[in-house]
Amino acid sequence: MKNIIFIIDAKLNEEGRYSLSRSGPYKYSVKSWKNWASNKDCEVFLLDELPFSNEEMGICWQRYYLFDILEQNEIEYDQVLMVDADTIVHPDCPNFFDMTERKYCGVPCEGSYDWILRSIEIYSKYIFGGTIVPFWKYINGGFQIVNSNHRQFFETMVQLYQAHKENFQTLQKTFFVGTDQTPLNFMLYLENIDVKLFPYEFNMQDMMRKEILDNELTFTKIGWMYHFNAIPNQNDYEKTFDWMQKTYRLLYED
Amino acid sequence: MSKKNVVWWPAVINPEHDDKYGGYDYFKYSRNSWEAWCNRNDVLFVPFEEPIEKDLHKFRVNWQKSIFVFDELERRGIEYDQIALMDSSSMIRWDTPNFFKLTERKFVGWRDMDNLKWIYDSVMGYKDFFDYELDISKYINSGCIIFNESHKDFINSFKQLYYDNREPLMEMQDKIVMKGTEQTPLNYWLQMKNIDVKTNLPLPFKLTHLHRKDLLGSNWQLKEDPTPFFIKYGYIWFFNGIPKDQRTNIMMNTWNATKDYYKESNIEFTKILDEVKHKDTAKYTTSRKFKYDLLNTFSDEKYKEMSVLELGCSQGMTTRVLSYIFNKVYAVDWDTWNLEQAKKHCAGRDNIEFSQKDVYGGTWDFPNSEVVFIDCDHVYQSVISDIENSLSNFGDPIFIFDDYGLPPGEVKRAIKDKESEGKLKIDKYIGELPENLEHAGGTKFIDVEGCICNLR
Repeated sequence: MKNIIFIIDAKLNEEGRYSLSRSGPYKYSVKSWKNWASNKDCEVFLLDELPFSNEEMGICWQRYYLFDILEQNEIEYDQVLMVDADTIVHPDCPNFFDMTERKYCGVPCEGSYDWILRSIEIYSKYIFGGTIVPFWKYINGGFQIVNSNHRQFFETMVQLYQAHKENFQTLQKTFFVGTDQTPLNFMLYLENIDVKLFPYEFNMQDMMRKEILDNELTFTKIGWMYHFNAIPNQNDYEKTFDWMQKTYRLLYED
Repeated sequence: MSKKNVVWWPAVINPEHDDKYGGYDYFKYSRNSWEAWCNRNDVLFVPFEEPIEKDLHKFRVNWQKSIFVFDELERRGIEYDQIALMDSSSMIRWDTPNFFKLTERKFVGWRDMDNLKWIYDSVMGYKDFFDYELDISKYINSGCIIFNESHKDFINSFKQLYYDNREPLMEMQDKIVMKGTEQTPLNYWLQMKNIDVKTNLPLPFKLTHLHRKDLLGSNWQLKEDPTPFFIKYGYIWFFNGIPKDQRTNIMMNTWNATKDYYKESNIEFTKILDEVKHKDTAKYTTSRKFKYDLLNTFSDEKYKEMSVLELGCSQGMTTRVLSYIFNKVYAVDWDTWNLEQAKKHCAGRDNIEFSQKDVYGGTWDFPNSEVVFIDCDHVYQSVISDIENSLSNFGDPIFIFDDYGLPPGEVKRAIKDKESEGKLKIDKYIGELPENLEHAGGTKFIDVEGCICNLR
């Protein structure tokens, strides 16, 4: 059984965060992951057709059908990295599957704690009965390593969504504080899942805020997996495209 | 004198930098907070205000705070145990847990990655000098570190490094690298000397770059609590990463918004809290923070006229604290041995009336009380019964609940159900969050320890 890199690469043609142009640079992500996987005896699984429409179930929530999807596609798996498609991996990135201790693995969110704390407080108030999760353990949803031991937890996530579907959709539209990520963190906490936290170098988020998303591509000298999120001042993800293209060319074409 | 943990607080005024820093008035706000915290936690506050080397150009304050710490403590005859070096650009929240208990007696630091570009450039700048491949993922902030006597040789070797290489280090510091003073050299030295650095203490103990982290504001969407996030969720706040001449103003505003929490009354609370055991060593009672929250919440004079009925007083630890808050405490338990212990633990308190009773069998005939503290049977139906009996007998009392977050959650469910019915309104959560609750019995809570309802 191989370790799997699971990427959702569905092309949506809606507005804002679900626009077609957002997925434009995903090809660089996929190519980088395929390269890395081939050197580490892993496989990349691309989900390009969603089980449900984005309206029926938000795209991010659908990743918790991971195990069903893999089995329906007759993919044998050991561990699985679910990774966002706005990422690029360095070809020399160490094999993180060897570092998991077979635990649920993620990388703490680094960036705007205003967004994180508002999101925690809002979901706490409207869904989770006043519980507050420790913000320093709050992981980014774009890099999660799991294995079959976590199947039950994923089923719980899906059940949570089904039970509160309308509420979730209202909260997303009202407060804009994320989709599955904050509920994921609540559930990890409430279900007492043993989470191993990886260092920032394995999911380098909000790089502009840390001043490493620069012309020298400093981030490529510091860590292993680059997450091109929270890039300000763009209308149609054009800067995301540029940064991902530039990074891919540096690492894989030059 | 026995050894004490020490907060080493560097606050040397450098007149040449007066303009750059907009003066040094901010020292007093940092000092106020640290002195109060040290008092509450039996920690020695040791200011470092007079430089050892008078030439502050050749010996920057940041170098001196590190390399002379052991020399200076010993010169002053201080019997130190662990030492926390905390920059004077920081303030500590009044109720911060005692971090000395979390160190495992290792060298403790917190990872620094606010401005990773700055760190990367600094590390690269010193690379040739040290001829070492530094691991940036272990790079720590030098303004917030904890160590002990076992690190004396290390610190002294760092001092020797500076004396042996002062000119090239100054050259890099002031002309070539220009990224910091002793922080990057200290990181190189720690890694080159294989010092075991513990870097996994929670982030709230080192909240740096508050502006970059977007922590200066509050929840502008819910608009329920105007407390800035850094105060609400952080323990030690570092006012760096902002224009230095704004530091005093921001720290002054922070102090003015929080100074009441640091008052002497809190010192009095400490004395009371020290009289009894807490959940970390005795599973049958509440946590220290729970009791502190009671003292703090009911500190207004009006509560001193009230009586409290405590259903399930167990061995009387919280009962004793209640006796300092309220005029009269009616403490009830069904267990003979518990009551005997409770009476012993409450010796010297003359406003407590103990009674033995099974509150779920027989008549519910307790003296009228304005406050009811429910910590009896934790089964759903029993909690419902306690609430309903209190409401029907006492009208509209204030409720205090322990074990709100006790698994499997029956206390919480009962409270929530009564809240849905409009009988209760949770005004305040009290006690420890699950991740901070040290439970002598090992129980892992699923939610906060307690709550107060119908407060007025």
